[in-house]
Amino acid sequence: MSGPFAETGVIGPLGALLSAPFIGFAFGWFLERGGLGSARKLAGQFYLTDLAVFKVMFSALLTAMLGAFWLDKLGLLDLSLVYLPETFVLPQAVGGALFGAGFLVAGLCPGTSCVAAAAGRLDGVGVIGGMFAGVVLFNLGFDWIAGFYNSTPLGAVTLTDLAGVPRGAGVAVVTALALAGFVVAARIDRARR
Amino acid sequence: MTRIHHALAIIAAVLGLAAGAADVAAGGRRAVDVTQLASEIEAERDHVTAPELAERIMRQDSSLRVIDLRSRAEYDALHIPTATVTTLEDLARATFEAHASIVVYSEGGTHSAQAWMLLRLRGYRDVRFLREGIYEWLSRVMEPRLAIDATATERAEFARAEVHSRFFGGLPRSSVPRAEVPTGYWTNERAGAHLAMQGGPAASTQQAVARIRRRGC
Repeated sequence: MSGPFAETGVIGPLGALLSAPFIGFAFGWFLERGGLGSARKLAGQFYLTDLAVFKVMFSALLTAMLGAFWLDKLGLLDLSLVYLPETFVLPQAVGGALFGAGFLVAGLCPGTSCVAAAAGRLDGVGVIGGMFAGVVLFNLGFDWIAGFYNSTPLGAVTLTDLAGVPRGAGVAVVTALALAGFVVAARIDRARR
Repeated sequence: MTRIHHALAIIAAVLGLAAGAADVAAGGRRAVDVTQLASEIEAERDHVTAPELAERIMRQDSSLRVIDLRSRAEYDALHIPTATVTTLEDLARATFEAHASIVVYSEGGTHSAQAWMLLRLRGYRDVRFLREGIYEWLSRVMEPRLAIDATATERAEFARAEVHSRFFGGLPRSSVPRAEVPTGYWTNERAGAHLAMQGGPAASTQQAVARIRRRGC
């Protein structure tokens, strides 16, 4: 039995659909427990006054990356079946900058806005409203920006594909960077106390 | 940082370094994962069926690159729309966009299976081939056939195939004798077998095309 379970037919489409709410609930629960339902905490990341976002996100990234790599090596996960979104350099760079600006202004991102709303925070509800308004506007104006949206395509590539190095080397480098980041974050936290 | 943090950091460092060591030791450069190729073949993710290819061409899939490995004369006589003709040797040097979704076909399945392996070894990730080559295209898309005693499932498949056939200027045929619809036809296992065998084992694609065209007239 190997994953991804939905793709290899272990749980099928219905199983995938039924498991999604549980995964979503767990995601929201751990975000809330990690303190990421607070806009103040999230905005603190941009001012380097609170590095919880960095620590939570890189912990998740590191866990997922090492887990996926080693499960694949052990034959428990077929990475070629895991969906890899395509890269469009320029539109994604602009989208990322817009996302970051929205993150800074609102203090919440899409996931954490849901967490904040579920915890009864009105700013979370406001961000969700803004997010849906953005989705509607984007779709209404899609014909205008379709050219830009599809520009500079690189395909479904990974950093190691682009660099032409083994995947494991990429895993080692990202692990080293993340651990170094944790050390620096801990020092910043200590210095501020 | 607590003791748990330290322990987790050490585990991450060990797993991260081991990941690098494992892959670098495996060849020092991006080694082809033969096991992965084998599992793709085993799971039949190495080929595409003619109806699936037809649907992708119909919806003008911009990432699709269809490659015809037959001779120029056979290509000129008939080819799958949007296909470009090339030889296996040229394919070994050809470059495609990294995100290209490449479909190769030849007269049967041998050359295209070799081309699949060649392109996968060159690092292209999304490569498929038509298992029965141009015969499968002719049989399932250009001239889909429905047996006179067809099952409900076969009729449903035929209705879908008729849409493809009409789009590409083909000729769907219904109520044909069961003998003209070989076992495995609707499951894409032996879709083009009858066409390939009609003129004997040495029959060429051009003969198959000529036969279809005569019937069409």
